Amino acid sequence: MELLMPGLGLIFWMTIAFGCVLLILKKYAWKPILQVLNQREKQLAKSFSDAKRIEHEMSQLAALKTEKVAEAQQAADKIVADAREEAEQIITGAKDRAREEARVISDKADELIEKYKKEAMLEIKGQLSALSLEIAEKVLREEFSDRERNLKYVGRLLDDVASN
Amino acid sequence: MHAFSNSGYRPVVHVMGLILLLSVIILPQAVAASGNTGEMSQGEDGRDFDARKVIVDHVLDSYEWHLFDIGEREFSIPLPVILIYEGRPYLFSSSRFDHGTSSYKGFALGTEGRSKGRVIRVLVDGRTPDPDASFIIDLSITKNVLAVFFASALLCFLFVRIAKSYRGADIYSTPKGLPLFFEPLILFVRDHIAILAIGHEKYRTFMPYLLTVFFFIFLNNLLGLVPVFPGGANVTGNISVTFVLAMFTFFTTHWYANKAYWQHMFNTPGVPAFLKFPIPILPVIEIAGAFIKPFVLMIRLFANMTAGHMVILSLTSLIFVLGSVSILMGYAISPLTVLFLVFLNFLKILVSFLQAYIFTLFSAFFFGMAVPKAGH
Repeated sequence: MELLMPGLGLIFWMTIAFGCVLLILKKYAWKPILQVLNQREKQLAKSFSDAKRIEHEMSQLAALKTEKVAEAQQAADKIVADAREEAEQIITGAKDRAREEARVISDKADELIEKYKKEAMLEIKGQLSALSLEIAEKVLREEFSDRERNLKYVGRLLDDVASN
Repeated sequence: MHAFSNSGYRPVVHVMGLILLLSVIILPQAVAASGNTGEMSQGEDGRDFDARKVIVDHVLDSYEWHLFDIGEREFSIPLPVILIYEGRPYLFSSSRFDHGTSSYKGFALGTEGRSKGRVIRVLVDGRTPDPDASFIIDLSITKNVLAVFFASALLCFLFVRIAKSYRGADIYSTPKGLPLFFEPLILFVRDHIAILAIGHEKYRTFMPYLLTVFFFIFLNNLLGLVPVFPGGANVTGNISVTFVLAMFTFFTTHWYANKAYWQHMFNTPGVPAFLKFPIPILPVIEIAGAFIKPFVLMIRLFANMTAGHMVILSLTSLIFVLGSVSILMGYAISPLTVLFLVFLNFLKILVSFLQAYIFTLFSAFFFGMAVPKAGH
């Protein structure tokens, strides 16, 4: 029963002590402490949202970067392809020209050969004619010495020339 | 703002210093005063051990702070007795009562009934209670009052120090030392008590009270577990202390109560009219509820803490009870008892936190009910 009997003095002092503690702590402890904790949480929340925003921006930048790199790659590929094509065109053109020139040269050579051949044939024909005349003269002279045999000889010579 | 808090810090130190000084002045008197009063507390037989008396004496308040016995000598700190009787103040040391055997200026400690262990007015023989005595206003600094002062000083010292350590510090840095231990508890009270029970909009008003009451109960519970001076007083297991705490909750609730709360109490919306008129059944129930809530707070804390102390004291007494039967039995039971006591002390640390949490949480719920949103 004694346990349940409130003591007046204890109630009095407890009220004063607790009231003082409450007022002192409210002003000099809880206010600054809660302020710091709130401030810190606000800052942390801000940092967090900042980090999120920056992360988002970074991912956007990364996407942009890949896009740009792809574009550049495409452009480079195109340049290389164009260059290759051009080179091929140049080479083909050169080959064609060379072939044409070679054909022209060979045609000219053919013409010349034909011309020289004709000239040679003409010369040979001329010389052959003179030679024939000379032979004919000699045969004629011989003929006149041995008529019978010379005649046969001339005939045989003529046959030889004709076969040539 | 900094200069403002700085100038305010000094009075706090002075108040704490005064309270500490008080206990230091009383301390040397203890040894001197207790020298000549050894014989009393023993029973008739030297080996008798009255467990009930020991337990009840330990959980009750007292005019002196018992430290220890050496043989038959009892060492205790006598505390100041402050009385106002018939308009006249009296101030003297409780050592004048010689542990309840002597009277001083017509005052003595009651021995039976309602006045047992309290200061009463006695007749000239120094023993018989004066039947014509008027009411004694007893404002003595008892054991529990001193313990409350000590805990209050410690609380102020701790938290003002913690608040100071935040000043000028990088708020992102990990707290060190005291703040490292107390910051999670402060956040716990804020997030899991105040915001939970009151809500985001209005919890700020009640934070100082909730934090103070939480740490006051928690610290006093823990100090109650410390077996040596200045711990060991059953502060939170004293009905007067829990009464004051419950009253603070009660008055805070009704000071901040808004219109919706009062309307809910006297004219509850959404219930049939015959419950309110002509016999106001519901208002009566609501008003009774407003008083029952703090009453339950008071009883719960008191009963839990006292019960814990009693269990620990009972187990400790078991050694001496059995020891008074046979010294061998006393020795035999002690290892088991000590093991159990270690377990119980850990349990009490948990209970210390739990009871502080429960008291604070329920206070917060009452505040939450006092400031509901309109139309709820």
